[in-house]
Amino acid sequence: MSDVRANVTVVDDDPLVLRSLDRLLQSAGYAVETYSSALEFLRSCAFDAPGCVVMDLSLPYLNGLDLQQALGKIADARPVVFISGHGTVPNSVEAMKAGAVDFLTKPVDAEKLLGAVRAALSKDHAAREQRAGQAAVTSRLCTLTPREREVLAGVVVGKLNKQIAAELGTAEKTIKVHRARMMRKMEVGSLAELVRAWTVTQPPPAA
Amino acid sequence: MDGHAAATGRVAALLERRWRVLHAPRWLGPALLVAIGYYLAARLGLALTLKPYPISTLWPPNALLAGVLLLAPARAWWWLLAAALPAHLLAELQSGVPTVMVLGWYVSNCGEALIAAALVRVFVPEPLRLDSLRNAGIFLACAVLAAPLLSSFLDAALVRTIGSGQNSYWDLVHKRVFSNILAELTVAPLVLTWAALVTRRPAASLAHIVEALALFLGLLGVCMLVFDLPYLGTHISPAVYYLPLPFLIWAAVRHGPAGTTTALALMAVATIWGAVHGLGPFAARTPQETAHDMQLFLIAVSVPLLLLAVVLEERERAERESREQRRQLTHLSRVAMLGELSGGIAHELNQPLTAILSNAQAAQHFLANKTAEPEVLAEILHDIIEADQRAGDVIARLRALFKRGETRFETLEPNRLVEDALALTHGDLTTRGVELVLRLAPRLPEIRGDRVQLQQVVLNLVVNAAEAMAPCPQKDRLLTVQTLATKGRVHINVVDRGSGFNVPAERLFEAFYTTKPQGLGLGLSISKSIIKAHGGRLWATTRRGGGAAFLITLPSVP
Repeated sequence: MSDVRANVTVVDDDPLVLRSLDRLLQSAGYAVETYSSALEFLRSCAFDAPGCVVMDLSLPYLNGLDLQQALGKIADARPVVFISGHGTVPNSVEAMKAGAVDFLTKPVDAEKLLGAVRAALSKDHAAREQRAGQAAVTSRLCTLTPREREVLAGVVVGKLNKQIAAELGTAEKTIKVHRARMMRKMEVGSLAELVRAWTVTQPPPAA
Repeated sequence: MDGHAAATGRVAALLERRWRVLHAPRWLGPALLVAIGYYLAARLGLALTLKPYPISTLWPPNALLAGVLLLAPARAWWWLLAAALPAHLLAELQSGVPTVMVLGWYVSNCGEALIAAALVRVFVPEPLRLDSLRNAGIFLACAVLAAPLLSSFLDAALVRTIGSGQNSYWDLVHKRVFSNILAELTVAPLVLTWAALVTRRPAASLAHIVEALALFLGLLGVCMLVFDLPYLGTHISPAVYYLPLPFLIWAAVRHGPAGTTTALALMAVATIWGAVHGLGPFAARTPQETAHDMQLFLIAVSVPLLLLAVVLEERERAERESREQRRQLTHLSRVAMLGELSGGIAHELNQPLTAILSNAQAAQHFLANKTAEPEVLAEILHDIIEADQRAGDVIARLRALFKRGETRFETLEPNRLVEDALALTHGDLTTRGVELVLRLAPRLPEIRGDRVQLQQVVLNLVVNAAEAMAPCPQKDRLLTVQTLATKGRVHINVVDRGSGFNVPAERLFEAFYTTKPQGLGLGLSISKSIIKAHGGRLWATTRRGGGAAFLITLPSVP
């Protein structure tokens, strides 16, 4: 983990509960932000900052599940831990399906809450690392010339230099030059590395 | 247990057994009462005899015995009758009648009481209470009519065989029948109604006792005026006989069967006492005619008044019972509603519990990390106390609503009432995703009412409104609770944005009408009767743009 204090956001409409969760998370060493409603949280500019969200399921105006859905549409949304005074099975199933890290019932024990927060933060961390890697590869791809990209497309599907040269109508020697330059720009040392970097930029197959 | 204690125990048991032998038996008290009562009744009967006419106008001992037997189980009849024998001998032997005749009368007196009690017992197997028209009818037919008739034949035959033979048999029967009928009508109900009064021990207010005193003093005054003044020779308007009637009706309407029987007895004694002393409107003619006229007059007055008192009592009892049933139903529907709210109430308790637990665990962490700052710890403790008080408040409110108490009217602030009721629904509304809009008018006049019952009505309307909005999207689940005042009135409106209702509004308030799959259909009907009992009105209208509005109007305290 980084030495920067991880950020935990708490959303609960009950000020007494909000303060208590704030203190509990602070006592465990987290930086805590508190909001008393989903709207107030969405109005803050930091809802996509690194960290996780601990929120009550039933909130006024926009309840927890709605907020979770809204956050789900944002690429960098933080993972959510739900706490509820009256967790029903359908609610918890819906929450978990929508990607909640955990669904805890009030009154929640510190051990469980902090465990869930740790899990959420590591999920967030992993997701951000992955997205950072993707972004790096994408920006390297942007530096390639059209010819180099054509060569890359051939290489990653396992074609030989000779085949690529035939398809593009140039000499195999020229392709070799393009290929070496492309590998350098993509900052990879082997074909395997190139394929892995290229894969993360591809959208996942439709389910 | 050691030996010493065991020995002490044995001695105690022995003493107790011995004591029980020495101890007065259970029936001695009633027997003594019967003996004393019988003696006094006999003296009174003798005092109410028009000399030289040998038969009392009102002979109470037989009727007293009949009243006592009607109250006692049949197995006790024999010793109750036996207890009357010494009293009978003591009273009658003073009047110089031959002993055989005195014993004969004892037999016929007991015979009348036994016939009356046995006949009534055939129809009413338990001790008789004059609290229904049926019982009163049975009493009149058996004890007032049949028993005096039957025993008079026996009595007259005894007098004919033993005693002086001036009168013919049928003449004797005729004289005794009316004397006995009047006695059964006056004295036996007195015994029955007072016994019922003493065993029931109703809580009588001072005002009620003062009123009863005023009634009896007034009645006594009027009776003395009408029956105990010298009227010899003057013409008496028949209207005079009716003067005591208002007091008798007053007794029947306000003081129940016991008050009525007492008033009737009082009038009977005043009437006969006057005639015996040559006073009042009846005294003008021969003793036989005087006695006969008085008996018929008193019988004619007593029967309808006794029946009136019994009918009123029966009606009042039915009303009392239905009031009690309504009270139970009100309580049951309140408990059922709290059951519906239980999820929300659990949430309401979970919130402070969460705050307490998390605050306490935060404090533990701060202490363990040695990062505990006194100010932070003080804040934590402050919040824990606040949360604890909040949970306590929820429980106090619940307890008040769960309790089954008497209706208690007090002066209430309408806004406070609404807030208190809503405090319990907060969790339920949050769970249902209902947004509450409170529009409380400032400086409302106060209202008078039963806090718990009015809270019940508000709760009922709020729960209904929340349920009605369940199918709406969350942004439309808006519940408005409003208070406002108009001249002499306070209004509490509960408005939802559900689908409203498509039946006439009156149907909503009918008992057992419900739209909920698990509803009893009692909530609104009980709410309406609560508001009605507060002198107010509860009705419903549909809201423009969808939804229902339930409007409570209550009179404000001037």
